[in-house]
Amino acid sequence: MQIHFERTGGFMGRKISLSLNLNEIPAEQAATLRTLIEEANFLTIEDPPPDAESARDQFIYMVAIETDKIHHIIHTTDTSMPATLRPLIENLSSLAHSGRR
Amino acid sequence: MHSHHSIFCITPPHMLQEVSRNGTSAQREMAQRTLTASEVFRARRVSLGGGVKASPLASSLASAVSGGKQRTIYDAKQGSNLPGSMVRGEGDPASSDPAVNEAYDGCGTTYDLYLNAFGRDSIDNHGLPLNSTVHFQKGYDNAFWDGEQMVYGDGDEDLPVSERLFNRFTKSLDVIGHELTHGVTQYEANLKYSNQPGALNESMSDVFGSLVKQYQRMHTAAEADWIIGEGLFTSNVNGVGIRSMKAPGSAYNDPVLGKDPQPAHMNNYVNTVEDNGGVHINSGIPNHAFYVIAIELGGFAWEKAGLIWYKTLTEKLKADSSFMDAANLTFQAATELYGSGSLEEQAVQKGWAEVGITLSGPPATNTGCFNSVMRAIGLG
Repeated sequence: MQIHFERTGGFMGRKISLSLNLNEIPAEQAATLRTLIEEANFLTIEDPPPDAESARDQFIYMVAIETDKIHHIIHTTDTSMPATLRPLIENLSSLAHSGRR
Repeated sequence: MHSHHSIFCITPPHMLQEVSRNGTSAQREMAQRTLTASEVFRARRVSLGGGVKASPLASSLASAVSGGKQRTIYDAKQGSNLPGSMVRGEGDPASSDPAVNEAYDGCGTTYDLYLNAFGRDSIDNHGLPLNSTVHFQKGYDNAFWDGEQMVYGDGDEDLPVSERLFNRFTKSLDVIGHELTHGVTQYEANLKYSNQPGALNESMSDVFGSLVKQYQRMHTAAEADWIIGEGLFTSNVNGVGIRSMKAPGSAYNDPVLGKDPQPAHMNNYVNTVEDNGGVHINSGIPNHAFYVIAIELGGFAWEKAGLIWYKTLTEKLKADSSFMDAANLTFQAATELYGSGSLEEQAVQKGWAEVGITLSGPPATNTGCFNSVMRAIGLG
């Protein structure tokens, strides 16, 4: 399973991104991500454009998950994301941050 | 610019109830506000006429709609629920939490600039309460306007000191002015948040955010630093702030964050789909035009350049206005304020020319409908 993550927008407008192959990262980290994906019911989340009618400077998140059989992509924002998705977004944001130095 | 709200003043309550349930988002909001105000005035009448004490909620609402600064700061306690727990209201003593005080004081200075320089009473010009939430999420290196309130993260407080790049976002006064101005823009030109209108939206927030800081410091245009997000970076970053209006593209150049990508000229306009079409990137162009005009005019930038921009934002720009529209309309505003052939008019022309935009004559403004009506009744 591969995960692609991007965060754009925000006050600074800076993009951070991350691509992971769960078969190539430490087993514990991969297990955590699999759990968060499952708990988010990720594959059932639809991908409407983020509702940014009047919100400004919010982060815009993109998460894509790929396997041999599945390719599912979603976009969301801080104020529009389902609560069940937030732990996965926070985990991916943290991983993207930790790889910056 | 609030003439589109007046329909609700003559609409009976039952119809307002219908609109508040079935209207568009903007219609629902206006109807609800009118209903709330009506409730307050009814409560006041009861209180004054019948000797019956109004409820605490009605009293609070009455205070809120009476104008003046109405700041409330909430604490999200590193969670995501908005607004969070109330921690400081208007007139309350200072908190032991610096983020709370920075949000409170920054909102106050922003309110003061809008009132004293432009005669504006809060975000909606009708005393809208100013609500802010601090400590949003954990490790959240951002601030935003959610359509109703301001929200601030704590930067990289979750990382070891040696790895932190961002301080808390309330630390920078111009960030607070920037976010509050998104609210002003929402109630006025309501510039779309993509491509050139989106970059103009961002630039308006940078312009007035910078003016708030200059106003607090009593800096002239020549004395001002013209940096947006001053104080946001930790000492680990090679940069002075997020953006520079004086020299877009020069605010930071860091091994981790990369280089400030802002252009200062149309020749370097960035075509991208990211960030809603580069709204935080291409805002460097109108930002620099404003800087050039402010320097050209001298003195305090909010007095002339700021007034021209404010008049343009509140009376002339439309939701889909382009950079060229903004150039022509600021020129028109300068003419109306200072006269044809004035130094102010010339400064506006020079400012836009320096970023590669040559004036081409005014497009239709958002007062077109009003003017048509005035003409139709013989007053135009």
